[in-house]
Amino acid sequence: MGRTTRINVTLGTILMMMGFGTAWVAASDPPPAGETGSVAVRLYLTEGALPTDDPNAAAWNSIQPSAFKLAPQVHWPDRIQAVTVQSVRVRGMHNGRDLAVMLEYDDPSEDAADAAALEFMVGDTKAHFAHGQEMLQVEGGPVNIWYWKKANGRATDMSAKGFQTLRAQERQDVSATGAWRDGTWRVVFSRSLQTGDEADVQITPGEWRNVAFAFWDGQLVDGVEKEKGSQKAVSSWWYIRAEPPPDNSIYGYVVLGMAIAAGFEFFLVRKIRKGNQA
Amino acid sequence: MKGPLAQTGILLVGTYVFLKFILPLVTAPLPASLIFLYVALTVAAAMIFYTMSGAGLEAFMGPIGRFLTGEGQKGVAATARVMVFVLFPLLVGWQTYTKLAPSDVPPPENRTIHPAPPGEFVGLSNPFPKTQENVMMGKGLYAAFCSPCHGANFDGKGPASVGFNPPPANFSDPGTIAQLQESYLFWRIKKGGVGLPVEGMPWKSAMPRWEAELPDEWIWKIIMGEYDGAGQSPRTWEEEE
Repeated sequence: MGRTTRINVTLGTILMMMGFGTAWVAASDPPPAGETGSVAVRLYLTEGALPTDDPNAAAWNSIQPSAFKLAPQVHWPDRIQAVTVQSVRVRGMHNGRDLAVMLEYDDPSEDAADAAALEFMVGDTKAHFAHGQEMLQVEGGPVNIWYWKKANGRATDMSAKGFQTLRAQERQDVSATGAWRDGTWRVVFSRSLQTGDEADVQITPGEWRNVAFAFWDGQLVDGVEKEKGSQKAVSSWWYIRAEPPPDNSIYGYVVLGMAIAAGFEFFLVRKIRKGNQA
Repeated sequence: MKGPLAQTGILLVGTYVFLKFILPLVTAPLPASLIFLYVALTVAAAMIFYTMSGAGLEAFMGPIGRFLTGEGQKGVAATARVMVFVLFPLLVGWQTYTKLAPSDVPPPENRTIHPAPPGEFVGLSNPFPKTQENVMMGKGLYAAFCSPCHGANFDGKGPASVGFNPPPANFSDPGTIAQLQESYLFWRIKKGGVGLPVEGMPWKSAMPRWEAELPDEWIWKIIMGEYDGAGQSPRTWEEEE
């Protein structure tokens, strides 16, 4: 075996081992351990009209829900120590123009004052999950809240930046409809992905946004609503993302990568054979 | 199959098995990237050792060269050669796909759990003596204001703790208040989650800003009750010297 051949074989072997090694490392490190429950809501990409008016539409049942646990609101007065709604299952879809999110949660009784809300950070500025409350060392931004109440029969598109600042927006962009059956609420919120209103969260497929949830059990106990105002079940910030359209250029790169690898093999063998002949 | 190549193979397998399965019996498991680094160093060492002389190089590289060129191969070796040549491009293709495929995993959050406090909250000492009475009062206040989240057992498992992200701190864990000074706790209780710097992700914390509701005296006594109840001692300057 000639000197050139040996160098070629050495070089080729090292390169091949590096390739295998990299693949092995990338494949064998386990993903970081998640918290109990989901961390993100996925808005699945579909075609055609979304089932915005029917919380019990068959299309919803084909979607795998994300699940989030809820806590009583203890962050600021008036607090509450125990709440009715303990967790929420969230399903979502979009068709490239509009989105629909369905919140499904257990509440033993159907009451006029039952309510549910989604909260979003607006733009890229971080906002505290408690109504965009002021932070001391970080300049916070506003939140966009989509609020639905059974008695109102519709959604209210709201904004807040700090306590006592929650207001309905002049421009209303959100719709909602709820259906209660056998101790379970299903509430569907819908909106355009983009609204052109800078007080709103804008959903761009492929981009991550922050979302939080809140629920009120409006059951009357001694003539008073069990949960109202700041007394509610809440979640921390989680993530939401509209599924981007499939990107077929990936397969082009896959074929290119395979062609380069095959070409490398071909030239390696040819080099060794030439070295042997020399 | 004897000779340098087989020896290197055995050495590599041995190194991997040792790092991956035997070492974790006595210490924490190594990350895959570190194991890869050690295995790569073993390969480099073996190659340097066997290629010091021309004969060694031939003994080491010869079989690889013959395998790749397929010189006079038959049976299993020939099949193995074809498989390697088919698998390598497939592996590259699969790697390309996994790197480029859109990820369903949200961006990573590297939240600092105990970020540096503002200067005004460094080195304050508890102005109240650690008397039985003060500790008892602190525990009572803790039960009223803190235990719904941080738990009656100081373990962060109160009835309102489920669902918060990040979860309430577990004071019985030696990695929390035992690592901190009383003045640090005073800052965290007084200013709450919204008082955290950006690396502490204040927008996610449900810790109330208690200065709006509790006098300083109560906060100092709560700290006392918290350490006593959790069976921990505050970190002091003396211990650091």
